[in-house]
Amino acid sequence: MNKIETLCLLCSQPLQSAISWKILLTKQFQPTICDRCSARFEHSPTATALYQYNDAMKDYLHQYKFLQDVALAKVFRQELHARFKLEKAAIIPIPMHPLKQRERTFSHMEELLKAANIPFIQLLEKTTTATQSSKNREQRIQAASLFRLMAKAHVEHKEYLLFDDIKTTGTTLRHATEVLLNAGAKNVKIFTLING
Amino acid sequence: MKYKGWLLPPALRDFHEGRIWLKEHTTFSKGDIEKSINHKYFHIIEGIQKEPHLKCNRCHNDNLQLFTTFACSKCQQQCIYCRHCLNMGRVSSCTQLMIWTGPRAMRTRKHSLKWAGEFTVLQQQAANEMLESVKAKRSHLIHAVCGAGKTELLFPTVHYALQQGLRVCIATPRTDVVLELYPRFQTVFPQTMIHALYGGSPKQEGYAQLVLATTHQLYRFERAFDIMIVDEADAFPYTFDETLQSAVQKAKTENAPIMLVTATPSQKLLTQYQNKSYSFIPKRYHNRPLPVPRFHSLWSYEKSLKRGKIPRKLKQWTEERLARKEPFLLFFPKVELMKIATPLFQLLDANIMAVHAEDPQRKEKVLKLRHEEVPGLLTTTILERGITIKNVQVAVIGAESTIFTSSALIQIAGRVGRNANFTDGDVVFFHHGITTEMDDARTKILYYNKKGFS
Repeated sequence: MNKIETLCLLCSQPLQSAISWKILLTKQFQPTICDRCSARFEHSPTATALYQYNDAMKDYLHQYKFLQDVALAKVFRQELHARFKLEKAAIIPIPMHPLKQRERTFSHMEELLKAANIPFIQLLEKTTTATQSSKNREQRIQAASLFRLMAKAHVEHKEYLLFDDIKTTGTTLRHATEVLLNAGAKNVKIFTLING
Repeated sequence: MKYKGWLLPPALRDFHEGRIWLKEHTTFSKGDIEKSINHKYFHIIEGIQKEPHLKCNRCHNDNLQLFTTFACSKCQQQCIYCRHCLNMGRVSSCTQLMIWTGPRAMRTRKHSLKWAGEFTVLQQQAANEMLESVKAKRSHLIHAVCGAGKTELLFPTVHYALQQGLRVCIATPRTDVVLELYPRFQTVFPQTMIHALYGGSPKQEGYAQLVLATTHQLYRFERAFDIMIVDEADAFPYTFDETLQSAVQKAKTENAPIMLVTATPSQKLLTQYQNKSYSFIPKRYHNRPLPVPRFHSLWSYEKSLKRGKIPRKLKQWTEERLARKEPFLLFFPKVELMKIATPLFQLLDANIMAVHAEDPQRKEKVLKLRHEEVPGLLTTTILERGITIKNVQVAVIGAESTIFTSSALIQIAGRVGRNANFTDGDVVFFHHGITTEMDDARTKILYYNKKGFS
C-alpha cells in the first residue's frame, strides 16, 4: 500500500507532479490521481463532509467498494489527513458486519483512515448484514438498532467522532450516536467523506 | 426407480468449456460446482502467481505497478490483487480460478453458409490462400485496403472450420466492430450458435462454436479456440497493450493458427508474414480507386475555434456539404476541442451532432447519420474504422496531431466511397503543418491505387 503511484489510480494516465516549494518544504502525501480526475469531485459546502455526491463519486464508490479496489483508499488521504490531524475527539469509523467484511475482504472505512495515517479506535459492532442502500427512506428511518457496544468496550465521558463514507438520511450515524451517548459518552460528533 | 447419482448439467459444461473463471463468480449452484471439482472436471489455480515472477493468471499482467497488496479479511493474510483486469471481477491471491477439463460440449458439423455474394478475382485468391493456410494450420496475414470486403473473405474459412467441428473465434479490439459483425454472421450462418461477447454484453445460452468477441474478453478464455481470427489487428488498444496480444495466444489452443486481418498492418507484422503466408488486396470490391486525401492548411484552427469562430475554409467546406446534402464526418483530435466546436457548427445547421467514446447514444447517432436524419457528425477517432455510410464525405481537423497516425488517417480516408453507387468522395486533411504521418498515409494510398490498377 505504500508504493508511489506513477499512473492515476482512476484513469491510468501518467501522473506528472510539478515540483513546488510547498511540496519540498511541507510534509505531504504524493498525489495518486491526476488533476483532471480530481477536478471531477465536488467539494461539499457543509462542515461535516468533504465532498458532495456526484457522478465522479458514484464511480469512485463503485470501484472502491463494489469492485474492491483497495488501492483507492489512498485517493483522499491528503484531504482526510488535513481534516483529522488536529482532531481531539477519538475517531470511530462506522464498523462493518464481520461477515460483510470477510465478503468484501476489507473494511473500507478503516482503510481510508489507515491510508491517511490517522489513528482510530473501535467501540461498536454492527448487528445486521442488511445494507442501508437496499432499503427505502421509510425502512431506513424505522430500522431497529443497527449497532451495539463491543463486548469489552469502555466508553469514557469524553468527545467521540463518528466517521462514515456517505450520509443520506443520517440513520446509520443516528443509531451509532445513540449507542455511544447511552453508554456515557459526553458528546458525539459526526463526519462523512461524502454528503449524499 | 429414481436415479440417485449426479449428472453433469449440460449448461454448466457448455458455459465453462474453454473459459477461465473466478470460482465465486460462477452462476451455477455450489453443489454442482463442488461435484464437478470432485469429478476433476475443473482444474483449479490460484488467482495470482508469485513464482517465478508476479503475474495475474487471468489477464497475464505482470506490471508491478498494477498490483496492490493489502491486509485481507477473508484469508487473514497479506493478499495481492491485479488492478489491470479489475473490471471483470477482482482476482486476488486468495481467489481461485477454474479451468474446465471435463467432457467436451457437443459440436455439430452441420453448418450452412447462406451467402449469395460474389468475390472479385483478388478476393477469391485471398480467400483461397487463407483457406489453404487454415488447412495447413499456418498463421496468415490478410492485408486488404478499407472497403475491400474483408468480412466476406472470412466466410469460406469460417464455414470450413465449423464443418470440421472446430471452435472459431473472431476477435477485434473494438466493441463497435463486434456489434456490426454479429448480425451479419447470424444471417450468413443461420444454423450456427454464435455468441457476441463485449463489456456489458447480455448472457447468452448454450455452447457457441463461433464466438465474436472483443480482445479484452479473451482474458476470460484459455485454450478454447482452434482457429483465432483477429480483425482490425492494428487498432488501439491491441497494439498498445501487450497483455491483449498474450490473451490472443492463451485463448487459442497450442497449434491453432492465427489469422490477422487488417487494412493497415505495422511494419513488424509485414516483415513477419510477407514471405510466407500473406495475402494482399490493393483494390476495393467495386473496382474503383481509393479516394486520395487532399491537404489543406488551416492555420491556428484551435485558437480560432476557442475564440468562437469556425475558420473560413472549414466553414466553406461544411456549408458546401450542407448545400449538396452530402452526409459528412468531421474528425477532431481532442474531445475538449470538439465540445467547444459543437455549438458553433450547430449554428450552421441545428441538427449537427457530436459523438465521443463515452457517449451513451453513440450507436443511435451513427444510425441517424446513416438514415440521413442528421446532416453530419463531429467525432473523435472512435469512428475511424468499422462504419460504412453511403456517400459520406470526410474532413480531419488538425491532421498534424499525434493521435492521427498514418494508419488512423488511412482508416479515416477509407470511410469514403465504399458504396458501389458512390465510389468517390472528398477527404480533406485540414492541418496546422504537414507531418510525416500525413505524408505516409497519402503515399500508401497512392501506392495501393498504383498496385491495384497497373
